Amino acid sequence: MTRSPVKVLYIDDEENNLLAFKASFRRQYEIYTANSAAEGLKVLENLPVEVIIADQKMPLTTGVEFFKSISDTYPDPVRILLTGYTDISALADAINHGDIYRYITKPWNDLELHNSIKNAHDAYRAKIDLRNKVQELEKTNDELNRFIYSISHELRAPLVSVIGIVNLVKMEGLYHSSGEYWELIESCSNKLDYYIQKTLQYYKNNKNLSDRSDINFKKLVDEIIDLYSYTDRDTQFNININQPHPFIGDAFRLEVILGNLISNAIKYQKDTEVHKIVDINIDVNLYSAEISITDNGLGILNEHLEKIFTQFFKTKNNKGSGLGLFIVKEALNKINGKIAVKSSLNQGTTFKITIPNAN
Amino acid sequence: MLINIERPVKVMLIDDNIIDLKINSKIIQISKLFDEIIQCQSAEEAISYFTRHSNALDKLPNLILLDIQMPEMDGFEFLDNYKLLPDEWRTRCQVVMLSSTLDYGDIRKAEANPHVLKLLKKPLIPIELAAVVRANFTITG
Repeated sequence: MTRSPVKVLYIDDEENNLLAFKASFRRQYEIYTANSAAEGLKVLENLPVEVIIADQKMPLTTGVEFFKSISDTYPDPVRILLTGYTDISALADAINHGDIYRYITKPWNDLELHNSIKNAHDAYRAKIDLRNKVQELEKTNDELNRFIYSISHELRAPLVSVIGIVNLVKMEGLYHSSGEYWELIESCSNKLDYYIQKTLQYYKNNKNLSDRSDINFKKLVDEIIDLYSYTDRDTQFNININQPHPFIGDAFRLEVILGNLISNAIKYQKDTEVHKIVDINIDVNLYSAEISITDNGLGILNEHLEKIFTQFFKTKNNKGSGLGLFIVKEALNKINGKIAVKSSLNQGTTFKITIPNAN
Repeated sequence: MLINIERPVKVMLIDDNIIDLKINSKIIQISKLFDEIIQCQSAEEAISYFTRHSNALDKLPNLILLDIQMPEMDGFEFLDNYKLLPDEWRTRCQVVMLSSTLDYGDIRKAEANPHVLKLLKKPLIPIELAAVVRANFTITG
């Protein structure tokens, strides 16, 4: 791709300098000159200039004053200051307020000035490229957000209708009317729904937005148990919540963490167990919430304990997706929480979590 | 406080999805939670029902099951209209939202709305609807 030559604006009150500059650089650059700050501004208003060179010592407006005056209106062009004398205070001012890229002493050396203009232009490109990339990213991000929103509606709504129809079939006593077909439809639909839900949870957790809500653990745990235990009424919950202090935290992530752990505790029970028990203990102090969730279920093999938090880790004989605990760990990472697990096979599992109180 | 309502008890379903309208009507029919079902395929249709029966309070539903995502007027916009109704009407005619949404924003918005008794998740489960009815109404007659 050939780029059009770099547009350079040179402002100097000495006509000779303008002519000399043109003579030296007209082959490399597209040059515009002005003999005062006011004239320079006119050029800026009409042309997308990329590099501005201004002489410091000009009547009415100095180079630094000019750069200052355009810092809001024309922030993009890269600035080079030319000074015939070393005026430290003008330079300090220029660097601090005028957003100057380089300063060059007069009389200039052609090669030095040429290099400065080239570097200045690279800096200009980098700035513009970065801005374009940010805009592109924002657009992609925006589209992704809308996509996720539409998954949570358009994609899931028909699936939920299917599950509704299966429920209706059960209510009308037709569930066993076609062999095991209804049962299969139901289990496939539930699986698909589970994956959609986990995908959404994972995505939402990945976004860095965090919120500060007042968390009532009693209410949160009750809601979660309500949600996950209506398919399985046999489990006995021993809930012990001690929250003498307010707890401020991320409501969505807490719900994801507790939801996944509690539903696992309900799900991974022994079929033969008559007294299915899940103990939930939560202690809130000024600095953190200490949570433990214990079940008397299947337990986890010792050699699997290290892998349970990795994505798509599944064991042969369970019905998991390999996403639940992975999402729990990811969510805890986002809110600086910690998790530990202890388990013995066929005895049960305990998860201990610490979540900082943003109070 | 429980709201006293008399038979026949009526429910209004507002949902743009015909299939869901059919499924939910059938579920309510079989579970016998309500005697009459008024089906509306849009929030606009529901509003015109209210306007049409503004002189006959006994035609109003005792409960509205309101979908969230609908083209044109969505559930929340319907609620903006609903809250302008006279107090007496609103007492006779409560709102439960019924949606498959997993969007946290929608869920929070529904739970925070003072005119919404509860947000129920699709698919509609009869025991959940029955619990809402039991928690809010006493049915006589």
